[in-house]
Amino acid sequence: MAAFDARWMERWQSLVNQDSVTKIIGRHLSADVLMEFGSVAYVVSFVNGTLTRVAQNIGPETTYDFALRGPQDTWGKFIQPIPPPMYNDIWAMAHPLHGRLKIEGNVKVMWQNLRAFTWALDMMRNVKE
Amino acid sequence: MAKIEPITGRYIYVPYEGEEYRVFYEEAGQGIPLVCLHTAGTDSREWRHQLCDPDINRNFRVIALDLPRHGKSIPPKGWWKEEYKLTAKFYAEFLMAFCRELGLEKPVIMGSSMGGNICLHLALNFAKDVRSLIAIEACDYSPGWWLDWLWNPHMHGGEVAATSVYGLMAPQSPLEYRQETWWFYAQGGPGIFKGDLYFYSVDHDFRGLCSKLDGKVPIYFMTGVYDFACTPEMTEQTAKKVKGSECIIMEEIGHFPMSENPVTFKKYLIPVLAKVLQNK
Repeated sequence: MAAFDARWMERWQSLVNQDSVTKIIGRHLSADVLMEFGSVAYVVSFVNGTLTRVAQNIGPETTYDFALRGPQDTWGKFIQPIPPPMYNDIWAMAHPLHGRLKIEGNVKVMWQNLRAFTWALDMMRNVKE
Repeated sequence: MAKIEPITGRYIYVPYEGEEYRVFYEEAGQGIPLVCLHTAGTDSREWRHQLCDPDINRNFRVIALDLPRHGKSIPPKGWWKEEYKLTAKFYAEFLMAFCRELGLEKPVIMGSSMGGNICLHLALNFAKDVRSLIAIEACDYSPGWWLDWLWNPHMHGGEVAATSVYGLMAPQSPLEYRQETWWFYAQGGPGIFKGDLYFYSVDHDFRGLCSKLDGKVPIYFMTGVYDFACTPEMTEQTAKKVKGSECIIMEEIGHFPMSENPVTFKKYLIPVLAKVLQNK
Protein backbone atom coordinates (compact mmCIF):
# COMPACT_ATOMS: atom_id res chain seq x y z
CA MET A 1 0.00 0.00 0.00
CA ALA A 2 1.22 3.50 -0.81
CA ALA A 3 -0.28 6.92 -0.26
CA PHE A 4 -3.24 7.61 -2.58
CA ASP A 5 -3.57 4.07 -3.93
CA ALA A 6 -6.92 2.27 -3.73
CA ARG A 7 -6.21 0.53 -0.41
CA TRP A 8 -4.97 3.74 1.14
CA MET A 9 -8.18 5.48 0.03
CA GLU A 10 -10.23 2.67 1.56
CA ARG A 11 -8.49 3.17 4.88
CA TRP A 12 -9.14 6.90 4.75
CA GLN A 13 -12.80 6.19 3.94
CA SER A 14 -13.00 3.91 6.94
CA LEU A 15 -11.46 6.52 9.26
CA VAL A 16 -13.90 9.18 8.07
CA ASN A 17 -16.88 6.89 8.56
CA GLN A 18 -15.81 5.89 12.07
CA ASP A 19 -15.19 9.47 13.19
CA SER A 20 -17.65 10.78 15.76
CA VAL A 21 -17.08 14.48 14.98
CA THR A 22 -17.84 13.99 11.27
CA LYS A 23 -21.16 12.49 12.28
CA ILE A 24 -22.01 15.74 14.10
CA ILE A 25 -20.66 18.39 11.75
CA GLY A 26 -21.10 16.53 8.46
CA ARG A 27 -24.77 15.61 8.45
CA HIS A 28 -25.50 18.00 5.57
CA LEU A 29 -22.41 17.11 3.55
CA SER A 30 -23.62 15.41 0.38
CA ALA A 31 -21.37 15.83 -2.65
CA ASP A 32 -19.38 13.97 -5.28
CA VAL A 33 -15.82 15.27 -5.26
CA LEU A 34 -13.13 14.60 -7.84
CA MET A 35 -9.83 14.29 -6.03
CA GLU A 36 -6.77 14.32 -8.23
CA PHE A 37 -3.45 13.36 -6.65
CA GLY A 38 -1.09 13.92 -9.56
CA SER A 39 -1.75 11.11 -12.04
CA VAL A 40 -4.22 9.28 -9.75
CA ALA A 41 -7.83 10.42 -9.45
CA TYR A 42 -10.97 9.31 -7.64
CA VAL A 43 -14.51 10.50 -7.25
CA VAL A 44 -15.38 10.32 -3.58
CA SER A 45 -19.06 10.49 -2.68
CA PHE A 46 -20.35 11.87 0.60
CA VAL A 47 -23.98 11.28 1.53
CA ASN A 48 -25.13 13.07 4.69
CA GLY A 49 -21.60 12.99 6.03
CA THR A 50 -20.88 9.35 5.24
CA LEU A 51 -18.19 8.63 2.67
CA THR A 52 -20.25 6.08 0.76
CA ARG A 53 -18.10 5.46 -2.32
CA VAL A 54 -14.57 5.88 -3.66
CA ALA A 55 -14.65 5.37 -7.45
CA GLN A 56 -11.45 5.14 -9.41
CA ASN A 57 -12.39 4.69 -13.04
CA ILE A 58 -12.70 8.26 -14.24
CA GLY A 59 -14.13 8.43 -17.76
CA PRO A 60 -16.21 10.52 -20.13
CA GLU A 61 -19.37 9.71 -18.17
CA THR A 62 -17.99 10.60 -14.76
CA THR A 63 -19.84 13.42 -13.02
CA TYR A 64 -18.98 15.30 -9.85
CA ASP A 65 -19.83 18.50 -8.02
CA PHE A 66 -16.39 19.98 -7.58
CA ALA A 67 -12.77 18.96 -8.04
CA LEU A 68 -9.53 19.31 -6.12
CA ARG A 69 -6.50 18.89 -8.34
CA GLY A 70 -2.90 19.01 -7.22
CA PRO A 71 0.45 17.35 -7.79
CA GLN A 72 1.17 14.28 -5.67
CA ASP A 73 4.09 16.10 -4.05
CA THR A 74 1.72 18.80 -2.77
CA TRP A 75 -0.73 16.24 -1.38
CA GLY A 76 2.17 14.28 0.05
CA LYS A 77 3.09 17.29 2.18
CA PHE A 78 -0.55 17.85 3.13
CA ILE A 79 -0.86 14.36 4.63
CA GLN A 80 2.32 14.50 6.71
CA PRO A 81 1.55 14.19 10.45
CA ILE A 82 2.87 17.75 10.89
CA PRO A 83 2.42 19.28 7.45
CA PRO A 84 4.89 22.05 6.58
CA PRO A 85 3.79 25.71 6.38
CA MET A 86 1.56 26.51 3.38
CA TYR A 87 0.60 22.82 2.98
CA ASN A 88 -1.55 22.25 6.07
CA ASP A 89 -4.91 23.23 4.58
CA ILE A 90 -6.63 23.08 1.18
CA TRP A 91 -7.42 26.82 1.21
CA ALA A 92 -3.78 27.52 2.10
CA MET A 93 -2.69 25.48 -0.91
CA ALA A 94 -5.36 26.91 -3.22
CA HIS A 95 -5.18 30.58 -2.15
CA PRO A 96 -4.24 32.84 -5.11
CA LEU A 97 -0.97 33.74 -3.38
CA HIS A 98 0.13 30.10 -3.54
CA GLY A 99 -1.78 28.21 -6.26
CA ARG A 100 -0.53 24.74 -5.35
CA LEU A 101 -4.01 23.25 -5.55
CA LYS A 102 -6.81 23.92 -8.03
CA ILE A 103 -10.39 23.91 -6.79
CA GLU A 104 -12.86 23.80 -9.68
CA GLY A 105 -16.51 23.16 -10.45
CA ASN A 106 -19.45 24.05 -8.22
CA VAL A 107 -17.20 25.33 -5.46
CA LYS A 108 -20.19 26.82 -3.67
CA VAL A 109 -20.98 23.31 -2.41
CA MET A 110 -17.47 23.09 -1.04
CA TRP A 111 -17.66 26.44 0.75
CA GLN A 112 -21.06 25.50 2.19
CA ASN A 113 -19.56 22.33 3.65
CA LEU A 114 -16.04 23.58 4.24
CA ARG A 115 -15.93 22.64 7.92
CA ALA A 116 -16.96 19.01 7.54
CA PHE A 117 -15.06 18.54 4.29
CA THR A 118 -11.74 19.85 5.61
CA TRP A 119 -12.21 17.89 8.83
CA ALA A 120 -12.59 14.71 6.75
CA LEU A 121 -9.54 15.54 4.63
CA ASP A 122 -7.43 16.12 7.75
CA MET A 123 -8.03 12.46 8.62
CA MET A 124 -5.77 11.51 5.70
CA ARG A 125 -2.93 12.24 8.14
CA ASN A 126 -4.06 9.33 10.30
CA VAL A 127 -3.97 6.68 7.56
CA LYS A 128 -1.37 4.06 8.50
CA GLU A 129 0.55 2.88 5.47
CA MET B 1 -12.11 30.90 46.90
CA ALA B 2 -13.67 31.67 43.55
CA LYS B 3 -11.42 31.68 40.51
CA ILE B 4 -11.85 35.14 38.98
CA GLU B 5 -9.73 36.68 36.25
CA PRO B 6 -8.22 40.17 36.66
CA ILE B 7 -10.02 41.44 33.54
CA THR B 8 -12.71 44.09 33.86
CA GLY B 9 -14.98 45.08 30.98
CA ARG B 10 -16.59 48.49 30.44
CA TYR B 11 -18.39 50.52 27.80
CA ILE B 12 -17.18 53.89 26.59
CA TYR B 13 -18.89 56.31 24.21
CA VAL B 14 -16.49 57.35 21.46
CA PRO B 15 -17.38 60.40 19.37
CA TYR B 16 -16.25 60.19 15.75
CA GLU B 17 -17.40 62.29 12.78
CA GLY B 18 -20.71 63.33 14.34
CA GLU B 19 -21.62 59.82 15.55
CA GLU B 20 -21.33 58.41 19.02
CA TYR B 21 -20.16 54.79 19.17
CA ARG B 22 -20.81 52.58 22.20
CA VAL B 23 -17.59 50.62 22.48
CA PHE B 24 -16.81 47.67 24.72
CA TYR B 25 -13.30 47.20 26.05
CA GLU B 26 -11.59 44.95 28.53
CA GLU B 27 -8.55 45.82 30.58
CA ALA B 28 -6.17 44.50 33.18
CA GLY B 29 -2.95 45.71 34.77
CA GLN B 30 -1.25 49.03 35.29
CA GLY B 31 1.46 51.01 33.56
CA ILE B 32 2.04 51.94 29.95
CA PRO B 33 -1.19 51.62 27.96
CA LEU B 34 -1.01 48.64 25.59
CA VAL B 35 -3.98 48.68 23.24
CA CYS B 36 -4.64 45.29 21.62
CA LEU B 37 -6.47 44.99 18.32
CA HIS B 38 -8.43 41.90 17.32
CA THR B 39 -8.30 40.31 13.88
CA ALA B 40 -10.98 40.64 11.18
CA GLY B 41 -14.50 39.54 12.11
CA THR B 42 -13.78 38.72 15.75
CA ASP B 43 -13.42 40.56 19.05
CA SER B 44 -11.32 41.27 22.11
CA ARG B 45 -11.61 37.71 23.48
CA GLU B 46 -8.62 36.82 21.30
CA TRP B 47 -6.43 38.62 23.85
CA ARG B 48 -7.71 36.92 27.00
CA HIS B 49 -4.43 35.18 27.77
CA GLN B 50 -2.28 38.29 27.49
CA LEU B 51 -4.76 40.35 29.53
CA CYS B 52 -4.41 37.87 32.38
CA ASP B 53 -0.66 37.32 32.19
CA PRO B 54 1.12 38.95 35.17
CA ASP B 55 4.36 39.06 33.18
CA ILE B 56 2.58 41.40 30.80
CA ASN B 57 0.06 43.31 32.91
CA ARG B 58 2.68 44.07 35.60
CA ASN B 59 4.17 46.84 33.46
CA PHE B 60 1.36 47.50 31.05
CA ARG B 61 -2.26 48.56 31.27
CA VAL B 62 -3.49 46.00 28.76
CA ILE B 63 -6.63 47.13 26.93
CA ALA B 64 -8.49 45.17 24.27
CA LEU B 65 -11.44 46.79 22.51
CA ASP B 66 -14.17 45.52 20.25
CA LEU B 67 -14.39 47.63 17.11
CA PRO B 68 -17.91 48.86 16.25
CA ARG B 69 -20.01 45.92 14.90
CA HIS B 70 -17.74 43.42 16.68
CA GLY B 71 -18.21 41.53 19.94
CA LYS B 72 -20.17 43.66 22.41
CA SER B 73 -19.72 46.94 20.50
CA ILE B 74 -22.99 47.63 18.74
CA PRO B 75 -23.09 48.97 15.18
CA PRO B 76 -23.68 52.69 14.59
CA LYS B 77 -27.16 54.11 14.00
CA GLY B 78 -28.62 53.15 10.63
CA TRP B 79 -26.03 50.42 10.07
CA TRP B 80 -28.40 48.35 7.93
CA LYS B 81 -28.58 51.05 5.25
CA GLU B 82 -25.05 50.50 4.01
CA GLU B 83 -22.74 47.62 3.15
CA TYR B 84 -20.02 47.41 5.75
CA LYS B 85 -16.55 48.02 4.35
CA LEU B 86 -13.82 48.91 6.82
CA THR B 87 -11.41 51.56 5.54
CA ALA B 88 -7.93 52.49 6.69
CA LYS B 89 -9.12 56.04 7.37
CA PHE B 90 -11.97 55.01 9.68
CA TYR B 91 -9.95 52.31 11.40
CA ALA B 92 -6.93 54.47 12.21
CA GLU B 93 -8.89 57.60 13.14
CA PHE B 94 -11.40 55.68 15.22
CA LEU B 95 -8.68 53.92 17.18
CA MET B 96 -7.03 57.20 18.02
CA ALA B 97 -10.44 58.68 19.00
CA PHE B 98 -10.90 55.71 21.35
CA CYS B 99 -7.46 56.28 22.89
CA ARG B 100 -8.14 60.01 23.32
CA GLU B 101 -11.53 59.42 24.92
CA LEU B 102 -10.00 56.95 27.35
CA GLY B 103 -7.26 59.48 28.18
CA LEU B 104 -4.42 57.22 27.07
CA GLU B 105 -1.13 59.02 26.71
CA LYS B 106 1.10 57.71 23.92
CA PRO B 107 -0.16 54.13 24.01
CA VAL B 108 1.60 51.14 22.55
CA ILE B 109 -0.62 49.63 19.84
CA MET B 110 -0.41 45.88 19.26
CA GLY B 111 -2.59 44.24 16.64
CA SER B 112 -2.73 41.10 14.61
CA SER B 113 -3.68 40.60 10.95
CA MET B 114 -5.79 43.66 10.06
CA GLY B 115 -4.75 44.97 13.48
CA GLY B 116 -1.16 44.54 12.38
CA ASN B 117 -1.69 46.15 9.00
CA ILE B 118 -3.31 49.24 10.54
CA CYS B 119 -0.08 49.82 12.49
CA LEU B 120 1.52 51.01 9.24
CA HIS B 121 -1.22 53.62 8.80
CA LEU B 122 -0.84 54.70 12.43
CA ALA B 123 2.90 55.11 11.88
CA LEU B 124 2.21 57.30 8.85
CA ASN B 125 -0.54 59.50 10.28
CA PHE B 126 -0.29 59.35 14.08
CA ALA B 127 3.42 58.89 14.79
CA LYS B 128 3.48 61.53 17.50
CA ASP B 129 0.55 59.96 19.33
CA VAL B 130 1.92 56.43 19.82
CA ARG B 131 4.89 55.06 21.72
CA SER B 132 5.58 51.87 19.78
CA LEU B 133 3.75 49.63 17.34
CA ILE B 134 3.67 45.83 17.44
CA ALA B 135 2.45 44.70 14.03
CA ILE B 136 1.66 40.99 14.18
CA GLU B 137 1.04 39.06 10.94
CA ALA B 138 1.37 42.33 9.02
CA CYS B 139 2.71 43.38 5.64
CA ASP B 140 2.25 46.16 3.13
CA TYR B 141 -0.27 44.29 0.95
CA SER B 142 -2.32 41.18 1.69
CA PRO B 143 -4.63 40.39 -1.27
CA GLY B 144 -7.04 37.54 -1.94
CA TRP B 145 -9.46 37.59 0.98
CA TRP B 146 -12.31 39.93 -0.01
CA LEU B 147 -14.60 37.05 -1.06
CA ASP B 148 -18.35 36.86 -1.55
CA TRP B 149 -18.43 33.35 -0.06
CA LEU B 150 -17.82 34.93 3.32
CA TRP B 151 -21.17 36.71 3.23
CA ASN B 152 -23.72 34.68 1.33
CA PRO B 153 -27.18 33.64 2.57
CA HIS B 154 -26.71 30.22 0.96
CA MET B 155 -24.21 29.26 3.62
CA HIS B 156 -23.57 29.67 7.32
CA GLY B 157 -21.47 32.82 7.52
CA GLY B 158 -19.99 32.00 10.89
CA GLU B 159 -18.92 28.48 9.95
CA VAL B 160 -17.48 29.47 6.59
CA ALA B 161 -15.61 32.48 8.01
CA ALA B 162 -14.19 30.41 10.86
CA THR B 163 -13.17 27.50 8.66
CA SER B 164 -11.60 29.75 6.04
CA VAL B 165 -9.12 30.94 8.67
CA TYR B 166 -8.68 27.62 10.49
CA GLY B 167 -5.76 26.57 8.29
CA LEU B 168 -3.97 29.83 9.11
CA MET B 169 -3.18 28.26 12.47
CA ALA B 170 -0.19 25.99 13.01
CA PRO B 171 -0.69 22.26 13.54
CA GLN B 172 1.58 22.58 16.58
CA SER B 173 -0.89 24.93 18.28
CA PRO B 174 -3.09 23.16 20.84
CA LEU B 175 -6.30 21.87 19.26
CA GLU B 176 -8.32 23.34 22.11
CA TYR B 177 -7.07 26.86 21.37
CA ARG B 178 -7.42 26.46 17.61
CA GLN B 179 -11.01 25.41 18.11
CA GLU B 180 -11.58 28.31 20.51
CA THR B 181 -10.33 30.73 17.84
CA TRP B 182 -12.68 29.01 15.38
CA TRP B 183 -15.50 29.61 17.89
CA PHE B 184 -14.74 33.34 18.13
CA TYR B 185 -14.85 33.57 14.35
CA ALA B 186 -18.11 31.67 14.09
CA GLN B 187 -19.79 34.38 16.20
CA GLY B 188 -19.16 37.39 13.98
CA GLY B 189 -22.10 39.39 12.64
CA PRO B 190 -23.32 38.87 9.06
CA GLY B 191 -20.91 40.40 6.55
CA ILE B 192 -18.56 41.74 9.21
CA PHE B 193 -15.62 39.44 8.45
CA LYS B 194 -15.97 40.21 4.76
CA GLY B 195 -16.33 43.94 5.49
CA ASP B 196 -13.13 43.89 7.55
CA LEU B 197 -11.39 42.07 4.73
CA TYR B 198 -12.18 45.00 2.46
CA PHE B 199 -9.59 46.85 4.53
CA TYR B 200 -7.28 43.83 4.83
CA SER B 201 -7.11 42.95 1.12
CA VAL B 202 -8.28 46.05 -0.78
CA ASP B 203 -8.03 49.39 1.04
CA HIS B 204 -4.79 48.47 2.76
CA ASP B 205 -2.26 48.81 -0.04
CA PHE B 206 0.80 50.30 1.58
CA ARG B 207 3.28 49.25 -1.09
CA GLY B 208 3.96 52.81 -2.20
CA LEU B 209 3.90 54.25 1.30
CA CYS B 210 6.48 52.25 3.28
CA SER B 211 9.28 54.60 2.23
CA LYS B 212 7.33 57.56 3.65
CA LEU B 213 7.69 56.29 7.23
CA ASP B 214 10.39 58.27 8.98
CA GLY B 215 11.32 55.65 11.58
CA LYS B 216 10.51 57.86 14.58
CA VAL B 217 8.10 55.26 15.94
CA PRO B 218 9.62 51.83 16.55
CA ILE B 219 7.69 49.10 14.71
CA TYR B 220 8.08 45.45 15.65
CA PHE B 221 6.83 43.07 12.97
CA MET B 222 6.06 39.55 14.22
CA THR B 223 4.87 36.84 11.84
CA GLY B 224 4.24 33.13 12.31
CA VAL B 225 5.60 30.66 9.78
CA TYR B 226 2.18 29.05 9.18
CA ASP B 227 0.57 32.31 8.09
CA PHE B 228 -0.36 31.75 4.44
CA ALA B 229 -2.21 35.10 4.17
CA CYS B 230 0.80 37.15 5.24
CA THR B 231 3.79 34.89 4.85
CA PRO B 232 7.10 35.44 6.64
CA GLU B 233 8.57 36.51 3.29
CA MET B 234 5.84 39.14 2.84
CA THR B 235 6.54 40.56 6.29
CA GLU B 236 10.31 40.48 5.79
CA GLN B 237 10.04 42.33 2.51
CA THR B 238 7.83 44.96 4.13
CA ALA B 239 10.13 45.35 7.13
CA LYS B 240 13.10 45.93 4.83
CA LYS B 241 11.28 48.96 3.45
CA VAL B 242 10.23 50.38 6.83
CA LYS B 243 12.81 52.51 8.61
CA GLY B 244 13.27 51.76 12.30
CA SER B 245 11.51 48.44 12.18
CA GLU B 246 12.47 45.03 13.47
CA CYS B 247 11.23 41.76 12.01
CA ILE B 248 10.68 38.66 14.12
CA ILE B 249 9.65 35.38 12.51
CA MET B 250 7.94 33.00 14.91
CA GLU B 251 8.33 29.23 14.49
CA GLU B 252 5.53 26.70 14.97
CA ILE B 253 2.75 29.29 15.06
CA GLY B 254 0.32 30.86 12.62
CA HIS B 255 -1.85 33.91 12.00
CA PHE B 256 -3.45 34.12 15.48
CA PRO B 257 -0.48 33.86 17.87
CA MET B 258 -2.25 35.37 20.88
CA SER B 259 -5.20 32.98 20.79
CA GLU B 260 -3.94 29.85 19.00
CA ASN B 261 -0.83 29.37 21.10
CA PRO B 262 -0.33 31.91 23.92
CA VAL B 263 2.63 29.97 25.36
CA THR B 264 4.69 30.00 22.16
CA PHE B 265 3.65 33.59 21.44
CA LYS B 266 4.79 34.72 24.88
CA LYS B 267 8.36 33.53 24.20
CA TYR B 268 8.53 35.99 21.32
CA LEU B 269 6.43 38.78 22.83
CA ILE B 270 8.18 39.26 26.18
CA PRO B 271 11.53 40.37 24.64
CA VAL B 272 9.63 42.81 22.41
CA LEU B 273 7.77 44.26 25.38
CA ALA B 274 11.09 44.64 27.22
CA LYS B 275 12.32 46.78 24.33
CA VAL B 276 9.06 48.73 24.28
CA LEU B 277 9.57 49.62 27.95
CA GLN B 278 12.81 51.34 26.96
CA ASN B 279 11.16 53.39 24.20
CA LYS B 280 9.88 56.89 24.85
